[in-house]
Amino acid sequence: MTRARPWASSALLLCALLVALVAACAKKQGPARFPHQLHLVGLHCEEKGKPACLSCNSCHAPSQRGRAGKLPQQALCESCHKSDAREVLPVLSVVPARPNGDIAFNHDQHLSMQGIEGQCVKCHQGVLRENQSPLPPMSQCFTCHEHEQQWQRAECTPCHAQRDLARTLPQTFLRHDQAFARHHGAAAALQQNLCQSCHTQSQCQSCHDASQDLSVELRRPERLESNQVHRGDFLTRHAIEAKSEPARCASCHTPQSCDACHVARGVSGNIENGRNPHPPGWVGSNVNASNFHGREARRDILACASCHDQGPATNCIRCHKVSAYGGNPHPAGWKSTRSVASEMCRYCHG
Amino acid sequence: MASRDRLAVSLLLLAVLVVRASSASAQALERRGVPVSSSVESAPPPSDRLELVARGETYLQLFRRALLPGQNGALIESQEAAPLHQYIGLDARDIDTPWRKDSVDLELSAWGRAWPGRSEKEPDFDGDVQTASLRYHQGPFWVRFGRQQATGGAARYARFDGIMLGAEQALGWSATGYAGFTVLPRWDQRPGYHHLGNAADSLLRDPQAQPTRSGNWVSGGRLGYGTTALSASASVHEERDASLLSHRSLGLDGRAALGDRATAGGSALVELDARRLANARLWLDSTPHPALDVSAEFFRVEPALLLSRQSVLSVFSTANYDELGGSATWRALRELRLEGNGYLELYDGSRPGARGEVAARLLVDQKQQTLLRVAYARVLAPDNGYHSVRLSLSRRLQPRLTSTLEAYGYFYDRPIAGYVTSSVYAGTLSYQALDALNVMFGGSLAHTPYAAFDAEALLRVSYALDGAPRRTSW
Repeated sequence: MTRARPWASSALLLCALLVALVAACAKKQGPARFPHQLHLVGLHCEEKGKPACLSCNSCHAPSQRGRAGKLPQQALCESCHKSDAREVLPVLSVVPARPNGDIAFNHDQHLSMQGIEGQCVKCHQGVLRENQSPLPPMSQCFTCHEHEQQWQRAECTPCHAQRDLARTLPQTFLRHDQAFARHHGAAAALQQNLCQSCHTQSQCQSCHDASQDLSVELRRPERLESNQVHRGDFLTRHAIEAKSEPARCASCHTPQSCDACHVARGVSGNIENGRNPHPPGWVGSNVNASNFHGREARRDILACASCHDQGPATNCIRCHKVSAYGGNPHPAGWKSTRSVASEMCRYCHG
Repeated sequence: MASRDRLAVSLLLLAVLVVRASSASAQALERRGVPVSSSVESAPPPSDRLELVARGETYLQLFRRALLPGQNGALIESQEAAPLHQYIGLDARDIDTPWRKDSVDLELSAWGRAWPGRSEKEPDFDGDVQTASLRYHQGPFWVRFGRQQATGGAARYARFDGIMLGAEQALGWSATGYAGFTVLPRWDQRPGYHHLGNAADSLLRDPQAQPTRSGNWVSGGRLGYGTTALSASASVHEERDASLLSHRSLGLDGRAALGDRATAGGSALVELDARRLANARLWLDSTPHPALDVSAEFFRVEPALLLSRQSVLSVFSTANYDELGGSATWRALRELRLEGNGYLELYDGSRPGARGEVAARLLVDQKQQTLLRVAYARVLAPDNGYHSVRLSLSRRLQPRLTSTLEAYGYFYDRPIAGYVTSSVYAGTLSYQALDALNVMFGGSLAHTPYAAFDAEALLRVSYALDGAPRRTSW
């Protein structure tokens, strides 16, 4: 058994304390968000001596062009807030964040549609919920507008202005281009919830789950632009690909799964009467013989593991163990943090 | 204090302080006269956010035949039966509970296969559950039970049956923790398998013993901070194989926006048991011009550290390989996009390798959505390499009928099974019978070093059980 690492839990404790400290000390800066809910439904209105009830149109002019035209002016607030204007007016400086810039959107057209009928809240549901943005999310647009193909191609115009896309998330780290495909795992780690706003875990597994019976390439042959690695004649070139990028295979497959496939097709040494795939001189019968398997093993140990990692009986330690004739197999400068009494070390050192 | 106690105390402290922060925000709103929760009387009630996606896919492999060259022209009828594969998927978000609206997400995906008479050693029917999880969220906290996965960072990609807990803080801080039994690989030991060597040499382990799930489990956690401009996280992951340590890793990830047009990031995975860097990646994505994306990347990996720490082979090598390269996409015209990428691989003790591709994508006919893509790739690996050419064409024949055609050609530097070329031709025909029903027929012909003539045909029926048009890939 390996020993526990007390420093690991100490480091975790320190990190947790640091996060907790920041969370506890954090304060929101600037004025609060405009209390839409209070103005729309919380006022005592239409009673004797009370002001008229407010609607969205009382303050906003959605037909106006530009953001400034749509938002209320200071004088409008002051018509009611005569005595406390100084306290409440700073809220006008709170403008909802628009991470994707302005979009081409015709409010008049949408407000006159059946089902919306002048009700801004149908889309701007967030104005009634303090913890939501008053701006509708893009998924709200997708409830009517199907843009699957544009989304897949990252074609965001004409709804989004091209000039705005340069600073939006898709243009930087969310754009699902060929570079993103290589480091999307790190993005998934950093922004798990962001990914899950569009993707499910099943979608991850459509590529990464090697336990499916059909490969994703066979399931989606019509997706010409997806650069899936198994497309085309992968059977012939898989050995080249594995030699080229050994770690890439390991992102989905265990080394044992290589041999499982070879066994099923009768081309493994791990079957009865299986043929030896190694070239002549791979393992010498004496110290003077050609004996280059060690050099190859150092360079590409995952290739060895694809057949010889099925337990200690299947690999090098039949020869390479203490008191055997294979010599010390550890590479130069090898250091281990574990005790020779650990189970794995005892295969040779026991 | 024992390390386990310290861990529990730290997590409890974190939970209490996150609750306190959210509670303080609510109190501040109330002090300003804004009711945190009040009935909406005059405004229309917001529509329920429930979203349900349920879909299925049925695959029927119609035909497959291969003729192996070099075996006196013997016809090898490798898989001529008609296996039926069934996939189902359900994704429900924002389900209400009696005590809280929009608080539960549910996800299920599974597959099954019927292939009567395929092999005497394999069952006629097979199947598996890929994901089956239920997620409950309330305020800054969420918890997910069931079959799920942890991705990225120290976990790399781990599937397990268990529990994952998380908390998110409004300023961008987040924390997650998980534990559960590992979902064991399905195909690692097929029927008819014989171990190499003499089983008597297995000093401490019975090679024929079936793995028991009780000894295979994972646990880990992550602390992260993220905004649109900056994000970073640290994660730990431990994986046990037959109760023995398989991996104990520390993951570090970071990303920062460099102005409006560039983002840089990096990640590292440290194998704590070996105290060595298993892999590290540095990357830079930039958009110097609105029509041009350019990226650069450096990647280093020590493959031996991807093996289980119980693998004897993991102590035989410390060799690394490095990969340096990048990619570029130029949207030259609305109809024309040019892509290219190239990477140089430097291996310990071997000559360098390289891989690269250039491609042009042309929207020939916007009305019919006729798309043409031509790509050339070159791969140089330690023992062999190849040139490849790929030609792809897709066209919408009718509003509901789409077809694709593809041709691949490979030219190997050294013969494989005595041959230096292979070619594959493939095509599909998709018919969107209803908004929620799609039928696709696909087929391919191949001439490869392993098959003088290989033909396949496949029928796929995709249907949205919720009646909605297909929205996203699944």
